[in-house]
Amino acid sequence: MKAGKIRLKDIGKPSEQMVQLNPADFMRLPYPYDKADSDPDFKQLTEDQKKKYEATLDGVLAISIPKPETKVEEEELVRKFLSGLEKLLTKENNWTFLQPLTLSLEYCAKCQTCNEACPIYVGSGKQEIYRPTYRSEVLRAIVNKYIKKGGKTFAKFSGNDIDLNWTTVARLAELAYRCTLCRRCAQTCPIGVDNGLITHELRKLFSQELGIAPAEIHTLGSMKHLKSGSSTGLIPVALKDTIEFLEDDIKDRTGLDIKFPMDKEGADILLIHNAGEFLSWPENPMAFAIIFEAAGLNWTLSSDLLGYDAVNYGLWYDDVQFARVAVRHAQIAKKLGVKKIVIGECGHAHKAISVIADRIINGEINIPRESSYTLLEDIVCNGKLNLDPKKNDFPVTLHDPCNVTRLMGVVEPQRRVIRKICPQFREMEPHGVKNYCCGGGSGFAIMPSMNFPDWRTRISGRMKFKQILDAFQDVIDPGIKKMVCAPCSNCKGAIREILSHYDAWEKCGIAYTGLVEFIVNAMVDIKEPYIEWPEM
Amino acid sequence: MLLLMLSYLGIGIFVVVILGKIIKYFTMPLHVRWELYPLPHEKGREYGGSYFEELNWWEKPIKKSMLGQVKFMVPEILFVKSLYHDNRKLWYVSFPFHFGIYLVIGCLGLIFIGAIVSVAGLSPQNAISVFLQSLAVIFGAVGFMLGTIGAIGLLLRRTFDKDLRAFAAPIDYFNLVFILAIFLSGLIAWFSYDSALTVSRDYMKGLITFSPVVVGNSSLVGHIILLSLFLIYLPFTHMTHFIGKYFTWHEVRWDDRINTRGSAIEAKVNKLLNVKQNWSAPHMKPGKTWAETATEEVE
Repeated sequence: MKAGKIRLKDIGKPSEQMVQLNPADFMRLPYPYDKADSDPDFKQLTEDQKKKYEATLDGVLAISIPKPETKVEEEELVRKFLSGLEKLLTKENNWTFLQPLTLSLEYCAKCQTCNEACPIYVGSGKQEIYRPTYRSEVLRAIVNKYIKKGGKTFAKFSGNDIDLNWTTVARLAELAYRCTLCRRCAQTCPIGVDNGLITHELRKLFSQELGIAPAEIHTLGSMKHLKSGSSTGLIPVALKDTIEFLEDDIKDRTGLDIKFPMDKEGADILLIHNAGEFLSWPENPMAFAIIFEAAGLNWTLSSDLLGYDAVNYGLWYDDVQFARVAVRHAQIAKKLGVKKIVIGECGHAHKAISVIADRIINGEINIPRESSYTLLEDIVCNGKLNLDPKKNDFPVTLHDPCNVTRLMGVVEPQRRVIRKICPQFREMEPHGVKNYCCGGGSGFAIMPSMNFPDWRTRISGRMKFKQILDAFQDVIDPGIKKMVCAPCSNCKGAIREILSHYDAWEKCGIAYTGLVEFIVNAMVDIKEPYIEWPEM
Repeated sequence: MLLLMLSYLGIGIFVVVILGKIIKYFTMPLHVRWELYPLPHEKGREYGGSYFEELNWWEKPIKKSMLGQVKFMVPEILFVKSLYHDNRKLWYVSFPFHFGIYLVIGCLGLIFIGAIVSVAGLSPQNAISVFLQSLAVIFGAVGFMLGTIGAIGLLLRRTFDKDLRAFAAPIDYFNLVFILAIFLSGLIAWFSYDSALTVSRDYMKGLITFSPVVVGNSSLVGHIILLSLFLIYLPFTHMTHFIGKYFTWHEVRWDDRINTRGSAIEAKVNKLLNVKQNWSAPHMKPGKTWAETATEEVE
């Protein structure tokens, strides 16, 4: 089917593929990526993969549902989907989001204002199925036709003319993973309808009723997190080895003798990192330790199961998994007797435990939670460290993690830090609460299967790459080294991949790092540069 | 008399169903926080910041600005400000449409007050009656004109804008034509028959005093029939977003109330954590409470 010809009811009509993604249609990038030939073909699935999995939406696989072998299997999927949908609309099974969901299902005026706000829709070259309204309208039509009494009577007249079959359900499941839940669409809705929420609820239905979710988020994600302590596979014993390694590394790089406080009862602060930092960006937890020690804070890490991994993947797809992780985090803080939990550079962990979990963790485990950005602002801007901004005298721009800015309202602390210690700071446009997602939000950054990474880099991360290039256009010469500050583990992962895919270091001299690395790099007492640039 | 009965039916159904909807939303269970910044009640943080930006935020008083909320809501309600910023093409037709509706509602309100005043015994020649009636005429005339322009504009947009057309169902055109017919019949009745709205005021008096009134003009009769039918139809449609918008903004986007110990929110959460869920996926245990499900060991 050609883009622009797709209608709602097409989602249920069997076809080889609803949408053929063609890089020539994608949003154009700025210099030096402004030529069409710098954008080679989109990675296609193999014939074998297509035979095995339901890939007829857009030829991309995020959750990889096996194709049914019998008619009974097909009917079972539809039956379960409908039973899940009914549960989604009851207060017992979905008190957590019932009111927002009901309102969003009932009040869309189909004005399409939200579409232009969506980086995926715009980045893809405006593919119909990626409109924030498309999947929501499909779900609305199903609710109105199949759940509400008498819904089939005037289905055509009321726009609910949709066939509910295996194709519809399976495509809808995939489509629920073509949105990063950044909620930029909701921000522009004049009525307050939230298409990001509808995507979230769809994912939840599939997970909580049908057991369908990307393996990286569920089986290898939240389940692994709950069972072994971390979705990275880092078990408590391995954590202690890792910490010893980090202590040695700090000594080698800075000459400082720092011992990470571990399981210190009665500390003021329990610092929880995204455990991915220990493995992929160890310089980040090292920098936190250097800063906290230099500022004289009474802090600790936890080696308890889950206590060292702040992630909470349930935020993206499953309320029960979310609650399980949030409660465990709070229980660990209570057990240690800390005054507050401080969340490291992990955007979704910020929102998970500070905002959403606020109505899950009750009573004695309701320990205050705080963003590390706020604490870092206090340290940097109130003169608790001896800093020299000249040590960061290169162009810097700041990425705003959606979960921290638009969805939690922490906008200025990280900026005050950067403005104070990075003399060549420049903003991306738009930024703050109007920012664009890194493209790896809602779990995308940790989903490496099949050709999904290609989709992520080329489409969902496209707007962010454009923003980065735009911010540095005046210094785009690869001879000028410049840095993107991305104070979120997930965002760093997504940005690392975008920069790598486009050889942005080689072609433009653009690298990335977190927030604390800039602070340590500016510390007068540390002689060698802390920020490491990629090798040419 | 039949006309009067239809009007009563319209008003009755409208009030009952709308109240039912409001009660439905107000009695829905507390949901988890899902706010979206900027929040206009965050004092001094117009850029979108929140109390989370403060070090040890839970130890400090949270300054809320009701004025900030009013400053946001008034232009939003009156002028559809968000559409002006994010979808200007649609705003050009949506604004006259909505503003026309407000003016017509204002006109009906003024006629209602005028009728009450008249029932109370004040002469139509009294300065207060004349003022109310003159204002009603201005509101009505401008409202019907703006509404007609807006409704035609919305119909044209829905028909010729490919993005809007792609999602339009027959019901969307029906709704617009219905409202256009109300505006147009009102405009014709005012222009051709009831330019001082005295017949309309008499009809309103009849409604208030339960006494039949003869309306001797087909355009005004048509207008009253259409308006009454619309009042019956409206509460069952998404056009009740004038209620929905209150909840989507105040109860969802702007709900940053904190769950403090001993608070009403805590009590509500405790209650909700003890309701039983019934999800069926392999990692769920249907029949257990949320609290049990959240704290059990996973297998």
